[in-house]
Amino acid sequence: MKSHTVVVGLGNPILADDGIGIAVARALEPRLAGTGVAVAESAWGGMRFLDLLTGFDRAVLVDAIQWRHGPIGTVYCLTPEEAIPTVRAVGYHDVSLGLALQLGARLGIPLPKSIVVFAVEVDDTTTVREGLSPAVAAAVPEVIQEIEDLLAEWGVVEGTRLTRG
Amino acid sequence: MTGTRISIDPITRLEGHGKIDIFLDDEGEVTETYLQIPELRGFEKFCEGRPVEELPRIVTRICGVCPEAHHLASAKTCDAVYHVDPPPTAKKLRELLYSAFFTGDHTLHFYALGGPDFVVGPTAPAAERNILGVIGKVGLEAGKRVIQLRAGAQEVVKILGGKAVHPVTSLPGGVSKGLTEAERARIEELAKGFVDFAGFTLQVFEDVVLGNPAYVDLITGEVYRQQVHSMGTVDGQGRVNFYDGEVRVVDTAGKPLIQFPAKDYLQHLAEHVEPWTYLKYPYLKRVGWKGFVEGQDSGVYRATPLSRLNAADGMATPKAQAAYVRMYEVLGGKPVHFTLATHWARVIELMYAAEHTLELATDPEITGKDIRTLPTATPDEGVGQVEAPRGTLFHHYQTDARGIVQKVNLIVGTTNNHAAISLAVKRAAKHLIHKGTAPDEGLLNMVEMAFRAFDPCFGCATHSLPGRMPLEIQLRGSDGSLRRTIRRP
Repeated sequence: MKSHTVVVGLGNPILADDGIGIAVARALEPRLAGTGVAVAESAWGGMRFLDLLTGFDRAVLVDAIQWRHGPIGTVYCLTPEEAIPTVRAVGYHDVSLGLALQLGARLGIPLPKSIVVFAVEVDDTTTVREGLSPAVAAAVPEVIQEIEDLLAEWGVVEGTRLTRG
Repeated sequence: MTGTRISIDPITRLEGHGKIDIFLDDEGEVTETYLQIPELRGFEKFCEGRPVEELPRIVTRICGVCPEAHHLASAKTCDAVYHVDPPPTAKKLRELLYSAFFTGDHTLHFYALGGPDFVVGPTAPAAERNILGVIGKVGLEAGKRVIQLRAGAQEVVKILGGKAVHPVTSLPGGVSKGLTEAERARIEELAKGFVDFAGFTLQVFEDVVLGNPAYVDLITGEVYRQQVHSMGTVDGQGRVNFYDGEVRVVDTAGKPLIQFPAKDYLQHLAEHVEPWTYLKYPYLKRVGWKGFVEGQDSGVYRATPLSRLNAADGMATPKAQAAYVRMYEVLGGKPVHFTLATHWARVIELMYAAEHTLELATDPEITGKDIRTLPTATPDEGVGQVEAPRGTLFHHYQTDARGIVQKVNLIVGTTNNHAAISLAVKRAAKHLIHKGTAPDEGLLNMVEMAFRAFDPCFGCATHSLPGRMPLEIQLRGSDGSLRRTIRRP
């Protein structure tokens, strides 16, 4: 049976803080094993959102952002409409997240009705290296907590088991 | 500097994004335009000390948009480092993967990025100038076909590359995985669909763009004319090839200027450095760097779908060749210097990629078992090149005798076009800005259209200059005070 909920980590694992989404996805995967929640990674958004999200009822996206509304490591919870400036959701080579969702709707592609984007304020996204800046790495547990709370709220997983995990 | 500066920034002012600065003189006329683009740092250092055969898998991570191009440029470079020639079946498998990738990439560019300006119209509200607007004009069925095409191209890449997005198949001397008859048959079936779809897209271009005199005027107008040299890879018969062949540059009159194998790239290309940016501007050594100027005596060149067609003698497949002939007939012969004709060239290349996918899928050798020549020579140094969708891509590696990477140099497609993009933006700005005034929406979109034709992907940075993103222009007085902000959400 196909899972109804997916968590997608967006980013580049060898581009410093741009790897935040991937780091969260990799940390979540074992924690969500057996819950039926799918976990995916993607280096790109744009039209690829249609591949990643099709067939799911709910989706959580995790991406890096640099808009300096808070210090490095700040975690923002955004709607897809608000998530335009996240690093991977802009889709400047094809479509933004919002446009991908509109396109899917127009073409009758089954896309999630609920989408929540967690964006983490990051520092360095232009140095090719593995590993996050300390302030960004420190945000990983918070993002995981937020996602697990949300999944519990959605009734997808049991909150207590996960949040204490 | 006296005068006024106009900056075009992504509205969100994300760190690491590109920026366009337009400088005006005291009369309010454009003097210079500068593209300031961040560069990925540390890639060379990241690669140093690793076994060179790992690079084809690492370089796919440089860029989320064209990992297949980096994978194959890297694979060819590894072949060169190990002095090994892959067997014909291996080369064809790589090329099959690449042709399918090109089909998908060019399709997306046309329908999602380039097409909206023409199909919906350059003066249509920005909110409608997108793929939804295109579907509104061309029909819902076309939208479904775009999605199907894209999925089909990804399926081919996955069958051959091992993964849908970041291929892992290539090794020095060949590929790790052959093709079964069942897989081949599936690819053939998909490729037939690609050719149908490319024909449909050429027809859309014919009906919607060429059928509208205003669009033809826009394409052939002075704003987007750019007379620079043209670079592209050609096969042994001088035809466009994405995977293999020599790099040819024709001059502004279409005469062959240089032709060279990838390994000689440093003999023919040099990089100009400007004090205000750490990005470099490649130019043709033979002509020399004469500044940011167009013309026969300038070393500036373009490496785009249009320049590939200009540089070549024709296309290697029949339908693409017919479309090639048609384009030059309509636009007045070779070479074409209309930047916006790059979109037309891209659709012609889409047909070539589709036809070539089908050709390779039905090649008797494609299911051959001899897919790798084992390297036996001592590795040292190599250069490899492919035509990426956005331009010629060079990889250059040096290793020690154990094959451990000592040095890496890349010239990516957009870097080749760096000076040409700057010039294209300058021309659009000069046309639109007089006495310090500029039409709001017009400036934004017409400047965008200039660089959208190139689909820039600077340094393959993730935070490149956006082709379609909210923009902000800041008009500043000579004292630096903000005079006016033009913003489009």
